[in-house]
Amino acid sequence: MEVTINTIFTVQGVRHLTDSTYIVRLDRKGMMFVPGQNLNIGLAGDPEKRDYSIYSSLEDNFLDILVKEVDDGLVSKKLKKLKPGDSIEVDGPFGFFTIKDEDISTKKFLFIASGTGIGPFHSIALSYPELNYKLIHGVRNRNETYEKDHYPAGCYIGCLSKDKKGEFRGRVTDYLRQNPVDPDTLCYLCGNVNMIYDAFDILKEQGVPSGNLHAEVYF
Amino acid sequence: MNMSDTERTKPVIERMGYEWTDNEDEASLLGILACSVRQKAIDKVYSRISKWNKLKNKKNLLTFVTGCILPSDKERFLKLFDIVFPMSELQELPEMIGQYGIVTPFSLQSPVNGHAVFENPRVKELKAKAASLKLNEHIPDFWHIHPTYESSFEAFVPIQNGCDKFCTFCAVPYTRGREVSRPSEEILAEVQILIEKNYKSITLLGQNVNSYGLDKKGEEITFPELLRKIGEIGKSSDKEFWVYFTSPHPRDMSDEVIEVIAAYPHLAKQIHLPIQSGDDKVLIRMNRKYSVEKYTEIVKTIRRLIPQATLFTDIIVGFTGETDEQFENTRKAMAEFNYNMAYIAQYSQRPGAVSSRWVDDVPHDVKKNRFHKLTHDLEKTSAAHNRQMIGKTFRILVRGLERKGDFLSGLTEGRINVRIPSTDTSLIGKMVDIKITSSTDFSVAGEFVLKPELNTYGS
Repeated sequence: MEVTINTIFTVQGVRHLTDSTYIVRLDRKGMMFVPGQNLNIGLAGDPEKRDYSIYSSLEDNFLDILVKEVDDGLVSKKLKKLKPGDSIEVDGPFGFFTIKDEDISTKKFLFIASGTGIGPFHSIALSYPELNYKLIHGVRNRNETYEKDHYPAGCYIGCLSKDKKGEFRGRVTDYLRQNPVDPDTLCYLCGNVNMIYDAFDILKEQGVPSGNLHAEVYF
Repeated sequence: MNMSDTERTKPVIERMGYEWTDNEDEASLLGILACSVRQKAIDKVYSRISKWNKLKNKKNLLTFVTGCILPSDKERFLKLFDIVFPMSELQELPEMIGQYGIVTPFSLQSPVNGHAVFENPRVKELKAKAASLKLNEHIPDFWHIHPTYESSFEAFVPIQNGCDKFCTFCAVPYTRGREVSRPSEEILAEVQILIEKNYKSITLLGQNVNSYGLDKKGEEITFPELLRKIGEIGKSSDKEFWVYFTSPHPRDMSDEVIEVIAAYPHLAKQIHLPIQSGDDKVLIRMNRKYSVEKYTEIVKTIRRLIPQATLFTDIIVGFTGETDEQFENTRKAMAEFNYNMAYIAQYSQRPGAVSSRWVDDVPHDVKKNRFHKLTHDLEKTSAAHNRQMIGKTFRILVRGLERKGDFLSGLTEGRINVRIPSTDTSLIGKMVDIKITSSTDFSVAGEFVLKPELNTYGS
């Protein structure tokens, strides 16, 4: 299956990572996608839909999406209550927040995420085990580092703004200032727009050309 | 796209035996080709159907709506209109109308003729089908409809429907569905027919024309290959015409597209390349997936390979979060790229678009002020270009009489407006040589040349 349009998928289950963050697992139904792409998802028959990055890898026979419950959210609250066997409507996959085949084994990557912006990087990292990358993840506490054990040792750096027990104490922007980036690195930024803007400025100051900067705004 | 949709809707309705009227009170069939780009347009649909539903108390009236419809509006339209369908199912409109027991030349041949409206289970079935419609599923049927062109010398040819780019300010991917490319054989055949009928201006239409063919994963030619084939048709033809396209997306704008335009005389030397903003951060928030640097490279290639090309663009001012500094970057881009025309819009939230869920935080007065500043900047670059045209001779497509009726108006190949001191309407739809004698910010004026001596811009 290359592209789905308003297709019904069956929910396998919901796995809660924190009180407000969870993973919805769906039957994959043979869907082809490129790691980094997203799906447009809503309850079956409900016109309200939202975009969520695919969290699972190319090798998985299921589709995972990482969801943050939004206080006044019209979709995320409903997805949280899904039960195994429930149906949801899926459109996609979409998007160009992906890496080129020719870069996988030749380039150095820096992934910068805030919160659930780690979703596409989880899919990319697990789909391409040979990738030379570092993942910088900005969250408040260590319980938001989600599934950091999924990444090889040294690849994941949790930047915790309100917790001392992480790889780095401070924001991702603090980490970037203290650890300048080689301008040849391909930098991918995903998450909150303010974090993306601040990181973008720092990377430009450090000499990373615009062509090496890729961003996906979540909110 | 709405122009092209209209050209394809008219013949379907006319074939049913309906005659057009400008008076709503006379009509027995009223329909809307909706556009969800702005809330105002959709508000008008609700206001209009409310009026039409009141008319139903006095007369027999059937209503339909099609075009760009958001899922949330579709749900409500199903309760308000008799028929709701995507453009891709336009071919089935006669059957849908037939289900309501309306006698038309079509329904006289239809086995369902005569069924009472409310007893007909097929009506319910069609409504249920519309409720679960899959965008673009039947778009190839739509393309097979032979259009009634609004003009005898200018035509629009759809080559693609839908969009996969998901710019955060736009709802098109949610209303028109995924990018689907029309088979190239059909496009080339339609273009060939238009050329044979002496059409002078042919515009290839799509939301992202330069990603044409990519959805077919190698089973269809690419956009530059399509342009090349059209260029070859032009080369082997003795007809004079210009082929345009709109809109390309900078992300997919390859050097090859520009090379092909440069190589074929019938491919018009006018490029519409929407920049939307001259600031990288705004472009990120818009999810445009290109940087100002990348855009600059494309413009440099255009200037190098087609120095005479005119350049048009689209710009949104006051997008969510746009700062004064970011706006100033757009002004710098405007100055650097020397646009001939820019369609500048003050940002407004578009229902269904991702950005409609963000706070529209740039005050109206600030947007208005930025709009005026940018328009003034555009006037300067456009006026400078137009002044350079004075004294040179250009081929002009005469398009009509100006509103006051004392001048003809036309367009150069680069789509610069030209005023011609003549009222000879027999020239409308024809190409003539005009020597430019004066210019204004957005137009030039000239006089007929008896012995055409063609110059090109900048030469």
